[in-house]
Amino acid sequence: MIKASNVSLRYADGTLALRDVNLEIKPGEFVYIVGPSGSGKTSLLKLLMGIEFPTSGSLYVLDQPIVKNEMRNIRKMRRRIGPVFQEFRLIPGRTALENVVLGMRFLDTPKKQMMNNAREALAKVGLEHKASVMVDKLSYGEAQRVAIARALARKPSLILADEPTGNLDYDNAINIMNLMYTLKDKNTTVLVTTHATHLISNYSGAAVIRVEEGRVSVEHRGEQI
Amino acid sequence: MKNSSYFIKESIRIIRLNKLSNLFSFLGTTLILFLLALVVGIWSISSQMTELLRNEAEINAYFREETANTEELLSLIRQVDGVREVRLVNKEEARSRMEKILGEEADILDLFDENPFEAFFEVKIELDRMDSVFSQISSLKGIDYVRENREILEQIEKVTKALEVLGYLVIAAVSITTLIIVSHMIRQGIYQNHEQIITLMLLGAPDNFINFPYILLGFLLTFGGGIMATVLIAVLINQGYGRIGGTLPFIPMPPKDQLVYGLGVFLLAVSAALGILGSLFGVSTSKSKN
Repeated sequence: MIKASNVSLRYADGTLALRDVNLEIKPGEFVYIVGPSGSGKTSLLKLLMGIEFPTSGSLYVLDQPIVKNEMRNIRKMRRRIGPVFQEFRLIPGRTALENVVLGMRFLDTPKKQMMNNAREALAKVGLEHKASVMVDKLSYGEAQRVAIARALARKPSLILADEPTGNLDYDNAINIMNLMYTLKDKNTTVLVTTHATHLISNYSGAAVIRVEEGRVSVEHRGEQI
Repeated sequence: MKNSSYFIKESIRIIRLNKLSNLFSFLGTTLILFLLALVVGIWSISSQMTELLRNEAEINAYFREETANTEELLSLIRQVDGVREVRLVNKEEARSRMEKILGEEADILDLFDENPFEAFFEVKIELDRMDSVFSQISSLKGIDYVRENREILEQIEKVTKALEVLGYLVIAAVSITTLIIVSHMIRQGIYQNHEQIITLMLLGAPDNFINFPYILLGFLLTFGGGIMATVLIAVLINQGYGRIGGTLPFIPMPPKDQLVYGLGVFLLAVSAALGILGSLFGVSTSKSKN
């Protein structure tokens, strides 16, 4: 599913964001990536999405090598990923339902199934009653859940969620974490970054990977489903 | 096909996003296409007039009446490459033509005891071959001299060529201007939707999916401009024919409906092609790296 060998990432300004990362994540694993702000968690997700490329080492995601000259194939690989961005990246001026559907329009999903998947995903995040509300009018927590619904509706092989509880109050954060944990599925690998370690203690079935100053270590290996 | 309504809605949304700018682009495109239609229309009319005049291009070959065998000369001239038609104008016809030209002044011809006009061959020729026809007929035995209206014909040629060059220049100018307007419009749309495009890229949307609404937008605005320009030119031609037809009946104008139809088809085809090309150019020059 994901295999990184001696991967380092140095940004153009010279910052070494990740150093010698060795990591293997198997299909069906549920993984929390923890570490303080600025430790390299988002950089790791950017690598996995093919937004950044390893400066050295090799990285494979869903059997796709993450290298610059593979951009077309990386774009195809992204269609198998359900991303939840830290800043949501919802499309303004459209309803929650339209946003969720838009994430599927260029997949092979038939039109009717697209609508069913979208409604089902919105129901799963508890927002079916807000399907026709413009995303600009949703609260922060609701927008976050729409972003999660968009990722779910795509029926992805890999879910990458970047700080899905960032800036949420405790109750909403717990709700989101519970929701993310319900995504545990034998066909879906889930990676969730968070700096709020106190929120993940309840999920003993999940693996925990710690990122600190660009170094990645496996803190706890979870059960593979 | 499952996304056709999405693409149309998306294009309309992009137009609404920047209503005023897109309205000006639309009006600008309409005006430019209207000017193009105007020039092409004038070019078309003048080409037809020139063609008619070219068909009338002729030279007159005079012969020694006392020695020449007119039947044989007629046959020899007919065989010259570039001769379209030849006929003998006898002395009486030559006189009667002059009488018509002189009108009321024709009495002056009565001062002559004998008909002062000579018989000649009136030779209609292909204008492009004037030099070779001229020299070949001049060299025929029995031909005394050949008179040609070269200057007039050359002037016609010059005017036709100038109009043709002007036509091509205007088409090139209009094409480039429309391409710039459309591509600028597209780039502006892409710039305003940059974040949305990045999101779609991150979700794995292929370029075709992302670009199509913008290409459709360029097509719709330019084609719309083409329709507007067609309506304007049709109105202008209708009014113009009403006025010119009455005052300048000798100008050989093409049939009105044929002209409107021809220009309409031309404008719609050009606007559609320029819309798509401009959009593709705009999209290709606004690539994002994600």
